[in-house]
Amino acid sequence: MRSNWWKILGVLILLYVFIVGMLVPLKPGITSAQPSVLQAGEVVTMTISGYNTFFTKSTDHRAWIKADDTHALAASAIKVLNDQQLEASFRLPTYLPSDEKRLTASLLIDNSFDGATVIPGNLFLQQDSTNQAMGSQAWQTSSIGELHSKSGMSFPFRAILYETIRNTYFHVSLWLAMVILLITSLVFSIRYLSTTNPIDDYKAMSFTSSGLLFGVMGITTGMIWAKDTWGTYWTWEEVKMNMTAIALLIYMAYFVLRSSFEDMEKRARIAAVYNIFAFAALIPLIYVVPRLTDSLHPGSGGNPAFGGEDLDNTMRMVFYPAVIGWTLIGVWISSLIYRARKLEEQLYDD
Amino acid sequence: MALIQETAFLIRKEIKIEWRQKYAIGGILLYVLSTVFVVYTAFKTLEPQVWNTMFWIIVLFASVNAIAKSFVQENSSRQLYYYTLASPNAIIFSKIIYNTGLLLLLSALSFGVFSLVAGNPVKSSLEFFVAVFLGSMGFSITFTFISAIAAKASNSATLMAILSFPIVIPIILTLLKISANALRLMQDSSVWKDMLILVAIDFILLAVTFILFPFLWRD
Repeated sequence: MRSNWWKILGVLILLYVFIVGMLVPLKPGITSAQPSVLQAGEVVTMTISGYNTFFTKSTDHRAWIKADDTHALAASAIKVLNDQQLEASFRLPTYLPSDEKRLTASLLIDNSFDGATVIPGNLFLQQDSTNQAMGSQAWQTSSIGELHSKSGMSFPFRAILYETIRNTYFHVSLWLAMVILLITSLVFSIRYLSTTNPIDDYKAMSFTSSGLLFGVMGITTGMIWAKDTWGTYWTWEEVKMNMTAIALLIYMAYFVLRSSFEDMEKRARIAAVYNIFAFAALIPLIYVVPRLTDSLHPGSGGNPAFGGEDLDNTMRMVFYPAVIGWTLIGVWISSLIYRARKLEEQLYDD
Repeated sequence: MALIQETAFLIRKEIKIEWRQKYAIGGILLYVLSTVFVVYTAFKTLEPQVWNTMFWIIVLFASVNAIAKSFVQENSSRQLYYYTLASPNAIIFSKIIYNTGLLLLLSALSFGVFSLVAGNPVKSSLEFFVAVFLGSMGFSITFTFISAIAAKASNSATLMAILSFPIVIPIILTLLKISANALRLMQDSSVWKDMLILVAIDFILLAVTFILFPFLWRD
Protein backbone atom coordinates (compact mmCIF):
# COMPACT_ATOMS: atom_id res chain seq x y z
CA MET A 1 0.00 0.00 0.00
CA ARG A 2 2.75 2.39 0.97
CA SER A 3 4.46 2.15 -2.41
CA ASN A 4 1.15 2.70 -4.22
CA TRP A 5 0.39 6.15 -2.83
CA TRP A 6 1.13 7.83 -6.16
CA LYS A 7 -1.46 5.71 -7.95
CA ILE A 8 -4.12 6.76 -5.45
CA LEU A 9 -2.90 10.35 -5.76
CA GLY A 10 -3.21 10.15 -9.55
CA VAL A 11 -6.76 8.85 -9.38
CA LEU A 12 -7.76 11.46 -6.80
CA ILE A 13 -6.25 14.28 -8.83
CA LEU A 14 -8.06 13.15 -11.98
CA LEU A 15 -11.29 12.82 -10.01
CA TYR A 16 -10.80 16.42 -8.87
CA VAL A 17 -10.03 17.49 -12.46
CA PHE A 18 -13.16 15.84 -13.83
CA ILE A 19 -15.46 17.14 -11.10
CA VAL A 20 -14.13 20.69 -10.86
CA GLY A 21 -13.29 20.97 -14.55
CA MET A 22 -16.76 19.93 -15.62
CA LEU A 23 -18.95 21.47 -12.92
CA VAL A 24 -17.50 24.91 -12.22
CA PRO A 25 -19.59 27.37 -14.29
CA LEU A 26 -18.25 29.83 -16.82
CA LYS A 27 -18.18 33.50 -15.93
CA PRO A 28 -21.21 35.45 -17.17
CA GLY A 29 -20.62 36.81 -20.65
CA ILE A 30 -22.31 38.69 -23.47
CA THR A 31 -23.00 36.64 -26.59
CA SER A 32 -24.47 39.42 -28.72
CA ALA A 33 -25.53 43.05 -28.74
CA GLN A 34 -27.98 44.22 -31.42
CA PRO A 35 -27.82 46.53 -33.31
CA SER A 36 -24.05 46.56 -33.55
CA VAL A 37 -23.70 49.45 -36.03
CA LEU A 38 -24.52 52.75 -34.34
CA GLN A 39 -24.91 56.22 -35.85
CA ALA A 40 -23.72 59.25 -33.91
CA GLY A 41 -26.50 61.58 -32.80
CA GLU A 42 -29.16 58.88 -32.60
CA VAL A 43 -30.95 57.27 -29.69
CA VAL A 44 -30.51 53.50 -29.81
CA THR A 45 -32.13 50.76 -27.83
CA MET A 46 -29.77 47.84 -27.76
CA THR A 47 -30.79 44.27 -26.99
CA ILE A 48 -28.02 42.52 -25.09
CA SER A 49 -27.99 38.72 -24.81
CA GLY A 50 -26.04 37.19 -21.97
CA TYR A 51 -24.66 33.73 -21.25
CA ASN A 52 -24.78 32.32 -17.71
CA THR A 53 -26.20 35.64 -16.58
CA PHE A 54 -28.92 36.27 -13.99
CA PHE A 55 -30.14 39.72 -14.91
CA THR A 56 -33.33 39.46 -12.82
CA LYS A 57 -31.38 38.84 -9.63
CA SER A 58 -30.06 42.36 -9.34
CA THR A 59 -31.46 45.83 -9.88
CA ASP A 60 -28.35 47.98 -10.09
CA HIS A 61 -27.67 47.45 -13.80
CA ARG A 62 -25.29 49.79 -15.57
CA ALA A 63 -23.99 49.71 -19.16
CA TRP A 64 -21.39 51.64 -21.14
CA ILE A 65 -20.22 51.90 -24.72
CA LYS A 66 -16.48 52.11 -24.32
CA ALA A 67 -14.62 53.83 -27.17
CA ASP A 68 -11.20 53.68 -25.51
CA ASP A 69 -9.69 53.79 -22.05
CA THR A 70 -10.74 57.34 -21.31
CA HIS A 71 -13.91 57.71 -23.38
CA ALA A 72 -17.14 55.95 -22.51
CA LEU A 73 -20.86 56.61 -22.76
CA ALA A 74 -23.28 55.40 -20.08
CA ALA A 75 -26.70 53.98 -20.91
CA SER A 76 -29.57 56.35 -20.20
CA ALA A 77 -32.03 53.59 -19.34
CA ILE A 78 -31.85 49.83 -18.83
CA LYS A 79 -34.74 47.38 -18.88
CA VAL A 80 -34.37 43.74 -17.85
CA LEU A 81 -36.38 41.38 -20.11
CA ASN A 82 -35.35 38.10 -18.51
CA ASP A 83 -32.25 36.43 -17.06
CA GLN A 84 -30.52 36.33 -20.45
CA GLN A 85 -31.79 39.52 -22.06
CA LEU A 86 -31.43 43.18 -21.33
CA GLU A 87 -32.45 46.33 -23.18
CA ALA A 88 -30.16 49.31 -22.86
CA SER A 89 -30.85 52.74 -24.37
CA PHE A 90 -28.00 55.03 -25.39
CA ARG A 91 -28.24 58.66 -26.40
CA LEU A 92 -25.27 58.99 -28.74
CA PRO A 93 -23.72 62.50 -28.94
CA THR A 94 -23.38 64.20 -32.31
CA TYR A 95 -19.64 63.62 -32.40
CA LEU A 96 -17.44 60.67 -31.58
CA PRO A 97 -14.16 60.99 -29.65
CA SER A 98 -12.14 60.37 -32.79
CA ASP A 99 -11.01 62.12 -35.96
CA GLU A 100 -12.07 59.11 -38.02
CA LYS A 101 -15.55 58.52 -39.37
CA ARG A 102 -15.66 54.98 -38.08
CA LEU A 103 -14.74 53.63 -34.71
CA THR A 104 -14.89 50.22 -33.06
CA ALA A 105 -16.04 50.14 -29.48
CA SER A 106 -16.72 47.67 -26.71
CA LEU A 107 -19.81 47.11 -24.66
CA LEU A 108 -19.46 46.88 -20.89
CA ILE A 109 -22.25 45.94 -18.50
CA ASP A 110 -22.12 45.67 -14.76
CA ASN A 111 -24.40 44.58 -11.92
CA SER A 112 -23.88 43.40 -8.38
CA PHE A 113 -24.81 39.75 -8.98
CA ASP A 114 -23.03 38.86 -12.24
CA GLY A 115 -20.18 41.32 -11.90
CA ALA A 116 -18.79 43.25 -14.85
CA THR A 117 -18.75 41.69 -18.33
CA VAL A 118 -17.42 43.06 -21.58
CA ILE A 119 -17.79 42.19 -25.25
CA PRO A 120 -14.66 43.67 -26.83
CA GLY A 121 -14.55 45.37 -30.21
CA ASN A 122 -18.01 44.27 -31.23
CA LEU A 123 -19.67 47.65 -31.83
CA PHE A 124 -19.11 49.88 -34.83
CA LEU A 125 -19.73 53.59 -34.43
CA GLN A 126 -20.23 55.93 -37.38
CA GLN A 127 -20.33 59.70 -37.71
CA ASP A 128 -20.86 61.91 -40.73
CA SER A 129 -18.52 64.73 -39.75
CA THR A 130 -15.73 64.77 -37.22
CA ASN A 131 -14.96 67.04 -34.31
CA GLN A 132 -12.58 65.33 -31.95
CA ALA A 133 -12.59 68.03 -29.26
CA MET A 134 -16.37 68.13 -28.87
CA GLY A 135 -16.67 64.37 -29.19
CA SER A 136 -14.04 63.88 -26.55
CA GLN A 137 -15.87 66.16 -24.18
CA ALA A 138 -19.27 64.56 -24.76
CA TRP A 139 -17.88 61.08 -24.15
CA GLN A 140 -16.01 62.00 -21.01
CA THR A 141 -18.99 63.08 -18.95
CA SER A 142 -19.96 59.57 -17.96
CA SER A 143 -16.87 57.87 -16.61
CA ILE A 144 -16.99 54.27 -15.44
CA GLY A 145 -17.19 54.01 -11.67
CA GLU A 146 -16.45 51.14 -9.35
CA LEU A 147 -17.18 47.78 -11.03
CA HIS A 148 -18.45 44.66 -9.33
CA SER A 149 -16.82 41.30 -9.61
CA LYS A 150 -18.55 37.93 -9.57
CA SER A 151 -18.04 36.03 -6.35
CA GLY A 152 -17.27 32.32 -6.33
CA MET A 153 -15.20 30.07 -8.60
CA SER A 154 -15.68 30.33 -12.35
CA PHE A 155 -13.82 29.79 -15.62
CA PRO A 156 -13.28 32.58 -18.14
CA PHE A 157 -15.92 33.23 -20.77
CA ARG A 158 -14.46 33.47 -24.29
CA ALA A 159 -16.29 33.96 -27.55
CA ILE A 160 -15.99 30.96 -29.97
CA LEU A 161 -14.71 28.71 -27.18
CA TYR A 162 -17.57 29.01 -24.65
CA GLU A 163 -17.92 25.76 -22.65
CA THR A 164 -15.25 23.96 -24.69
CA ILE A 165 -12.63 25.91 -22.75
CA ARG A 166 -12.79 22.96 -20.34
CA ASN A 167 -11.05 20.85 -22.98
CA THR A 168 -7.83 22.58 -21.86
CA TYR A 169 -7.74 20.06 -18.99
CA PHE A 170 -7.89 17.17 -21.44
CA HIS A 171 -6.40 18.06 -24.83
CA VAL A 172 -3.57 20.29 -23.63
CA SER A 173 -2.72 18.35 -20.48
CA LEU A 174 -2.80 15.00 -22.33
CA TRP A 175 -0.38 16.46 -24.84
CA LEU A 176 1.95 17.61 -22.08
CA ALA A 177 1.69 14.25 -20.31
CA MET A 178 2.54 12.53 -23.63
CA VAL A 179 5.67 14.66 -23.98
CA ILE A 180 6.69 13.81 -20.41
CA LEU A 181 6.15 10.06 -20.99
CA LEU A 182 8.09 10.10 -24.27
CA ILE A 183 10.98 11.97 -22.64
CA THR A 184 11.02 9.33 -19.89
CA SER A 185 11.17 6.64 -22.57
CA LEU A 186 14.07 8.53 -24.17
CA VAL A 187 15.92 8.57 -20.83
CA PHE A 188 15.52 4.80 -20.50
CA SER A 189 16.72 4.30 -24.08
CA ILE A 190 19.85 6.33 -23.32
CA ARG A 191 20.31 4.31 -20.12
CA TYR A 192 19.96 1.08 -22.06
CA LEU A 193 22.81 2.02 -24.38
CA SER A 194 25.11 2.58 -21.41
CA THR A 195 23.99 -0.36 -19.23
CA THR A 196 22.66 -2.87 -21.83
CA ASN A 197 20.32 -4.01 -19.10
CA PRO A 198 17.15 -5.45 -20.73
CA ILE A 199 15.04 -3.95 -17.93
CA ASP A 200 15.80 -0.46 -19.25
CA ASP A 201 14.64 -1.53 -22.70
CA TYR A 202 11.34 -2.88 -21.35
CA LYS A 203 10.82 0.35 -19.46
CA ALA A 204 11.54 2.45 -22.55
CA MET A 205 9.08 0.31 -24.51
CA SER A 206 6.36 0.62 -21.84
CA PHE A 207 6.66 4.40 -21.62
CA THR A 208 6.49 4.64 -25.40
CA SER A 209 3.29 2.56 -25.38
CA SER A 210 1.55 4.74 -22.84
CA GLY A 211 2.85 7.87 -24.58
CA LEU A 212 1.33 6.55 -27.80
CA LEU A 213 -2.00 5.97 -26.04
CA PHE A 214 -1.99 9.52 -24.67
CA GLY A 215 -1.07 10.82 -28.11
CA VAL A 216 -4.13 9.12 -29.61
CA MET A 217 -6.36 10.52 -26.86
CA GLY A 218 -4.82 13.99 -27.24
CA ILE A 219 -5.37 13.95 -30.99
CA THR A 220 -8.98 12.79 -30.62
CA THR A 221 -9.87 15.46 -28.06
CA GLY A 222 -8.08 18.03 -30.22
CA MET A 223 -10.02 16.99 -33.32
CA ILE A 224 -13.39 17.22 -31.58
CA TRP A 225 -12.40 20.62 -30.22
CA ALA A 226 -11.22 21.85 -33.62
CA LYS A 227 -14.49 20.70 -35.22
CA ASP A 228 -16.49 22.59 -32.63
CA THR A 229 -14.54 25.85 -32.69
CA TRP A 230 -13.05 26.08 -36.20
CA GLY A 231 -15.45 23.85 -38.11
CA THR A 232 -12.87 21.31 -39.29
CA TYR A 233 -11.50 18.16 -37.75
CA TRP A 234 -7.98 18.73 -38.93
CA THR A 235 -6.05 21.85 -39.64
CA TRP A 236 -2.45 22.33 -40.53
CA GLU A 237 -2.28 25.40 -38.34
CA GLU A 238 -2.68 23.36 -35.20
CA VAL A 239 0.91 22.76 -34.12
CA LYS A 240 0.21 20.42 -31.22
CA MET A 241 -2.03 18.17 -33.30
CA ASN A 242 0.40 17.91 -36.20
CA MET A 243 3.35 17.32 -33.91
CA THR A 244 1.38 14.63 -32.13
CA ALA A 245 0.52 13.05 -35.48
CA ILE A 246 4.20 12.98 -36.49
CA ALA A 247 5.16 11.61 -33.06
CA LEU A 248 2.53 8.89 -33.49
CA LEU A 249 3.97 7.98 -36.91
CA ILE A 250 7.47 7.80 -35.45
CA TYR A 251 6.53 5.69 -32.45
CA MET A 252 4.33 3.36 -34.46
CA ALA A 253 7.35 2.85 -36.72
CA TYR A 254 9.33 2.22 -33.52
CA PHE A 255 7.06 -0.74 -32.75
CA VAL A 256 7.25 -2.03 -36.32
CA LEU A 257 11.05 -1.82 -36.05
CA ARG A 258 11.00 -3.74 -32.76
CA SER A 259 8.83 -6.49 -34.17
CA SER A 260 11.18 -7.06 -37.08
CA PHE A 261 13.94 -8.44 -34.84
CA GLU A 262 14.07 -11.91 -33.36
CA ASP A 263 17.20 -11.38 -31.33
CA MET A 264 16.38 -9.58 -28.06
CA GLU A 265 19.69 -7.84 -27.55
CA LYS A 266 19.74 -6.55 -31.12
CA ARG A 267 16.11 -5.43 -30.93
CA ALA A 268 16.70 -3.50 -27.70
CA ARG A 269 19.87 -1.82 -28.96
CA ILE A 270 18.53 -0.75 -32.36
CA ALA A 271 15.17 0.37 -30.94
CA ALA A 272 17.04 2.52 -28.40
CA VAL A 273 19.20 4.05 -31.14
CA TYR A 274 16.13 4.85 -33.25
CA ASN A 275 14.26 6.31 -30.28
CA ILE A 276 17.11 8.75 -29.55
CA PHE A 277 17.65 9.69 -33.20
CA ALA A 278 13.93 10.27 -33.85
CA PHE A 279 13.58 12.42 -30.75
CA ALA A 280 16.55 14.58 -31.73
CA ALA A 281 15.12 14.97 -35.23
CA LEU A 282 11.73 16.02 -33.85
CA ILE A 283 12.91 18.84 -31.59
CA PRO A 284 13.45 21.30 -34.49
CA LEU A 285 9.79 20.90 -35.41
CA ILE A 286 8.80 22.99 -32.41
CA TYR A 287 10.72 25.88 -33.97
CA VAL A 288 9.98 25.13 -37.61
CA VAL A 289 6.19 24.74 -37.71
CA PRO A 290 5.16 27.98 -35.98
CA ARG A 291 7.42 29.91 -38.36
CA LEU A 292 5.65 28.61 -41.44
CA THR A 293 2.21 30.15 -41.02
CA ASP A 294 0.29 32.43 -38.78
CA SER A 295 -1.34 29.91 -36.58
CA LEU A 296 -5.04 29.50 -35.95
CA HIS A 297 -4.13 27.99 -32.65
CA PRO A 298 -5.19 29.71 -29.49
CA GLY A 299 -2.50 32.12 -28.50
CA SER A 300 -1.45 33.32 -31.93
CA GLY A 301 -2.86 35.48 -34.69
CA GLY A 302 -5.56 37.12 -32.58
CA ASN A 303 -7.25 33.86 -31.66
CA PRO A 304 -8.87 33.38 -28.32
CA ALA A 305 -6.13 32.09 -26.16
CA PHE A 306 -5.73 30.59 -22.77
CA GLY A 307 -1.98 30.05 -22.69
CA GLY A 308 0.39 32.33 -20.82
CA GLU A 309 -1.32 35.37 -19.38
CA ASP A 310 -4.71 34.19 -20.56
CA LEU A 311 -4.75 31.04 -18.49
CA ASP A 312 -6.38 32.63 -15.48
CA ASN A 313 -5.82 31.59 -11.90
CA THR A 314 -8.96 29.48 -11.61
CA MET A 315 -7.98 27.52 -14.70
CA ARG A 316 -4.44 27.07 -13.39
CA MET A 317 -5.91 25.47 -10.28
CA VAL A 318 -7.29 22.69 -12.50
CA PHE A 319 -4.81 22.67 -15.40
CA TYR A 320 -1.59 22.01 -13.46
CA PRO A 321 -3.11 19.21 -11.37
CA ALA A 322 -4.52 17.77 -14.61
CA VAL A 323 -1.02 17.53 -16.12
CA ILE A 324 0.30 15.84 -12.95
CA GLY A 325 -2.72 13.54 -12.73
CA TRP A 326 -2.50 12.38 -16.34
CA THR A 327 1.25 11.86 -15.99
CA LEU A 328 0.80 9.72 -12.86
CA ILE A 329 -1.86 7.62 -14.60
CA GLY A 330 0.49 7.31 -17.60
CA VAL A 331 3.29 6.08 -15.33
CA TRP A 332 0.86 3.58 -13.79
CA ILE A 333 -0.18 2.28 -17.23
CA SER A 334 3.50 2.03 -18.20
CA SER A 335 4.34 0.07 -15.06
CA LEU A 336 1.51 -2.40 -15.83
CA ILE A 337 2.74 -2.86 -19.41
CA TYR A 338 6.27 -3.29 -18.10
CA ARG A 339 5.24 -5.99 -15.60
CA ALA A 340 3.16 -7.83 -18.20
CA ARG A 341 6.11 -7.72 -20.58
CA LYS A 342 8.48 -9.08 -17.94
CA LEU A 343 6.11 -11.96 -17.10
CA GLU A 344 5.76 -12.75 -20.80
CA GLU A 345 9.54 -12.89 -21.12
CA GLN A 346 9.83 -15.22 -18.12
CA LEU A 347 7.10 -17.44 -19.57
CA TYR A 348 8.95 -17.82 -22.86
CA ASP A 349 12.22 -18.52 -21.09
CA ASP A 350 10.83 -21.57 -19.24
CA MET B 1 43.96 13.06 -38.59
CA ALA B 2 43.45 9.34 -38.83
CA LEU B 3 39.73 9.93 -39.12
CA ILE B 4 40.18 12.21 -42.13
CA GLN B 5 42.55 9.78 -43.84
CA GLU B 6 40.27 6.84 -43.25
CA THR B 7 37.28 8.84 -44.44
CA ALA B 8 39.01 9.96 -47.63
CA PHE B 9 40.04 6.41 -48.33
CA LEU B 10 36.57 5.05 -47.72
CA ILE B 11 35.00 7.67 -49.99
CA ARG B 12 37.38 6.59 -52.76
CA LYS B 13 36.28 3.03 -52.10
CA GLU B 14 32.59 4.00 -52.36
CA ILE B 15 33.17 5.72 -55.69
CA LYS B 16 35.12 2.77 -57.01
CA ILE B 17 32.39 0.32 -56.05
CA GLU B 18 29.78 2.57 -57.64
CA TRP B 19 31.87 2.78 -60.80
CA ARG B 20 32.28 -0.97 -61.02
CA GLN B 21 28.59 -1.72 -60.60
CA LYS B 22 27.22 0.97 -62.89
CA TYR B 23 23.68 -0.36 -62.69
CA ALA B 24 23.13 1.19 -59.26
CA ILE B 25 23.82 4.78 -60.23
CA GLY B 26 22.33 4.25 -63.67
CA GLY B 27 19.18 2.89 -62.05
CA ILE B 28 18.81 5.92 -59.78
CA LEU B 29 19.35 8.42 -62.59
CA LEU B 30 16.79 6.63 -64.73
CA TYR B 31 14.44 6.56 -61.73
CA VAL B 32 14.64 10.38 -61.59
CA LEU B 33 14.02 10.70 -65.34
CA SER B 34 10.99 8.39 -65.25
CA THR B 35 9.47 10.08 -62.20
CA VAL B 36 9.91 13.54 -63.69
CA PHE B 37 8.25 12.36 -66.86
CA VAL B 38 5.35 10.73 -65.03
CA VAL B 39 4.76 13.96 -63.10
CA TYR B 40 5.01 16.00 -66.28
CA THR B 41 2.56 13.85 -68.25
CA ALA B 42 0.16 13.85 -65.32
CA PHE B 43 0.16 17.64 -64.91
CA LYS B 44 1.25 18.92 -68.39
CA THR B 45 1.41 22.52 -67.15
CA LEU B 46 2.83 23.07 -63.71
CA GLU B 47 2.00 26.12 -61.66
CA PRO B 48 5.04 27.37 -59.70
CA GLN B 49 3.37 26.25 -56.48
CA VAL B 50 2.95 22.70 -57.80
CA TRP B 51 6.40 22.79 -59.40
CA ASN B 52 7.93 23.56 -56.03
CA THR B 53 6.11 20.75 -54.23
CA MET B 54 6.63 18.16 -56.98
CA PHE B 55 10.33 18.94 -57.27
CA TRP B 56 10.94 18.20 -53.60
CA ILE B 57 8.70 15.13 -53.62
CA ILE B 58 10.67 13.71 -56.56
CA VAL B 59 13.98 14.50 -54.85
CA LEU B 60 12.71 12.98 -51.59
CA PHE B 61 11.67 9.68 -53.15
CA ALA B 62 14.71 9.44 -55.37
CA SER B 63 16.94 10.12 -52.34
CA VAL B 64 15.33 7.39 -50.26
CA ASN B 65 15.82 4.95 -53.11
CA ALA B 66 19.38 6.03 -53.75
CA ILE B 67 20.47 5.79 -50.14
CA ALA B 68 18.49 2.71 -49.09
CA LYS B 69 21.20 0.48 -50.53
CA SER B 70 24.04 2.16 -48.58
CA PHE B 71 24.48 -0.63 -46.07
CA VAL B 72 22.97 -3.57 -47.91
CA GLN B 73 24.95 -3.58 -51.13
CA GLU B 74 27.98 -5.09 -49.45
CA ASN B 75 27.62 -8.37 -47.58
CA SER B 76 27.97 -8.55 -43.83
CA SER B 77 31.31 -10.34 -43.78
CA ARG B 78 32.89 -7.57 -45.81
CA GLN B 79 31.33 -5.02 -43.44
CA LEU B 80 32.91 -6.88 -40.55
CA TYR B 81 36.21 -6.57 -42.38
CA TYR B 82 35.77 -2.78 -42.64
CA TYR B 83 34.97 -2.71 -38.96
CA THR B 84 38.32 -4.20 -38.12
CA LEU B 85 40.09 -1.67 -40.35
CA ALA B 86 38.37 1.66 -39.79
CA SER B 87 36.63 3.48 -36.96
CA PRO B 88 32.82 3.48 -37.13
CA ASN B 89 32.77 7.27 -37.38
CA ALA B 90 34.98 7.19 -40.47
CA ILE B 91 32.59 4.68 -42.03
CA ILE B 92 29.40 6.71 -41.41
CA PHE B 93 31.17 9.98 -42.25
CA SER B 94 32.42 8.66 -45.58
CA LYS B 95 28.97 7.33 -46.46
CA ILE B 96 27.30 10.63 -45.54
CA ILE B 97 29.74 12.64 -47.65
CA TYR B 98 29.46 10.24 -50.56
CA ASN B 99 25.66 10.23 -50.36
CA THR B 100 25.55 14.03 -50.15
CA GLY B 101 27.48 14.14 -53.42
CA LEU B 102 25.16 11.57 -54.95
CA LEU B 103 22.08 13.53 -53.87
CA LEU B 104 23.53 16.79 -55.22
CA LEU B 105 24.01 15.08 -58.57
CA LEU B 106 20.53 13.63 -58.36
CA SER B 107 18.89 16.96 -57.44
CA ALA B 108 20.82 18.74 -60.20
CA LEU B 109 19.58 16.16 -62.69
CA SER B 110 15.98 16.41 -61.44
CA PHE B 111 16.19 20.18 -61.65
CA GLY B 112 17.65 20.08 -65.16
CA VAL B 113 15.11 17.64 -66.57
CA PHE B 114 12.22 19.22 -64.69
CA SER B 115 13.11 22.69 -65.99
CA LEU B 116 13.47 21.31 -69.50
CA VAL B 117 10.00 19.78 -69.65
CA ALA B 118 8.03 21.92 -67.20
CA GLY B 119 9.84 25.27 -67.31
CA ASN B 120 12.05 26.91 -64.74
CA PRO B 121 10.15 29.19 -62.34
CA VAL B 122 13.15 29.83 -60.05
CA LYS B 123 13.66 33.59 -59.56
CA SER B 124 16.54 33.56 -57.10
CA SER B 125 18.98 30.86 -58.12
CA LEU B 126 21.27 31.48 -55.15
CA GLU B 127 18.55 30.84 -52.57
CA PHE B 128 17.34 27.80 -54.50
CA PHE B 129 20.77 26.19 -54.74
CA VAL B 130 21.52 26.87 -51.09
CA ALA B 131 18.25 25.05 -50.35
CA VAL B 132 19.26 22.17 -52.64
CA PHE B 133 22.68 21.93 -50.97
CA LEU B 134 21.39 22.04 -47.38
CA GLY B 135 18.54 19.71 -48.31
CA SER B 136 20.89 17.16 -49.85
CA MET B 137 22.98 17.27 -46.69
CA GLY B 138 19.98 16.81 -44.41
CA PHE B 139 18.49 14.00 -46.49
CA SER B 140 21.89 12.35 -46.75
CA ILE B 141 22.50 12.35 -42.98
CA THR B 142 18.99 11.16 -42.10
CA PHE B 143 18.65 8.52 -44.78
CA THR B 144 22.19 7.17 -44.36
CA PHE B 145 21.65 6.68 -40.65
CA ILE B 146 18.18 5.17 -41.10
CA SER B 147 19.48 2.85 -43.82
CA ALA B 148 22.07 1.63 -41.30
CA ILE B 149 19.18 0.83 -38.94
CA ALA B 150 16.97 -0.70 -41.64
CA ALA B 151 19.81 -2.84 -42.94
CA LYS B 152 19.90 -4.64 -39.58
CA ALA B 153 16.28 -5.76 -40.03
CA SER B 154 14.84 -8.15 -42.57
CA ASN B 155 12.23 -6.10 -44.50
CA SER B 156 14.45 -3.09 -44.99
CA ALA B 157 12.67 -1.40 -47.93
CA THR B 158 9.44 -0.76 -46.03
CA LEU B 159 11.30 0.08 -42.83
CA MET B 160 13.43 2.62 -44.66
CA ALA B 161 10.33 4.61 -45.64
CA ILE B 162 8.34 4.36 -42.42
CA LEU B 163 11.34 5.11 -40.22
CA SER B 164 12.68 8.05 -42.19
CA PHE B 165 9.67 9.95 -43.55
CA PRO B 166 8.31 11.24 -40.23
CA ILE B 167 11.82 12.23 -39.17
CA VAL B 168 12.52 14.17 -42.33
CA ILE B 169 9.37 16.33 -42.05
CA PRO B 170 11.08 19.31 -40.32
CA ILE B 171 13.70 19.39 -43.11
CA ILE B 172 11.10 19.12 -45.88
CA LEU B 173 8.96 21.89 -44.39
CA THR B 174 11.90 24.28 -44.13
CA LEU B 175 13.10 23.39 -47.64
CA LEU B 176 9.65 24.03 -49.11
CA LYS B 177 9.57 27.43 -47.43
CA ILE B 178 13.03 28.48 -48.62
CA SER B 179 12.41 27.36 -52.17
CA ALA B 180 8.93 28.92 -52.23
CA ASN B 181 10.78 32.09 -51.39
CA ALA B 182 13.30 31.45 -54.17
CA LEU B 183 10.39 31.03 -56.59
CA ARG B 184 8.91 34.29 -55.23
CA LEU B 185 5.72 32.52 -54.26
CA MET B 186 6.10 34.35 -51.02
CA GLN B 187 8.22 37.24 -49.88
CA ASP B 188 9.99 36.71 -46.61
CA SER B 189 12.93 38.84 -45.64
CA SER B 190 13.97 36.41 -42.90
CA VAL B 191 14.71 33.56 -45.32
CA TRP B 192 18.31 33.50 -44.09
CA LYS B 193 16.97 32.59 -40.69
CA ASP B 194 15.29 29.53 -42.21
CA MET B 195 18.58 28.56 -43.82
CA LEU B 196 20.23 28.87 -40.42
CA ILE B 197 17.56 26.61 -38.96
CA LEU B 198 18.31 24.08 -41.70
CA VAL B 199 22.04 24.28 -40.96
CA ALA B 200 21.25 23.79 -37.27
CA ILE B 201 19.06 20.75 -38.02
CA ASP B 202 21.85 19.27 -40.17
CA PHE B 203 24.36 19.78 -37.37
CA ILE B 204 22.10 18.28 -34.70
CA LEU B 205 21.49 15.21 -36.86
CA LEU B 206 25.18 14.89 -37.67
CA ALA B 207 26.14 15.09 -33.99
CA VAL B 208 23.52 12.51 -32.95
CA THR B 209 24.64 10.25 -35.82
CA PHE B 210 28.25 10.39 -34.61
CA ILE B 211 27.24 9.54 -31.07
CA LEU B 212 24.84 6.73 -31.99
CA PHE B 213 26.46 5.01 -34.96
CA PRO B 214 29.12 3.15 -32.91
CA PHE B 215 26.25 1.49 -30.95
CA LEU B 216 24.50 0.53 -34.16
CA TRP B 217 27.56 -0.75 -35.91
CA ARG B 218 28.88 -3.30 -33.42
CA ASP B 219 27.37 -6.73 -34.02
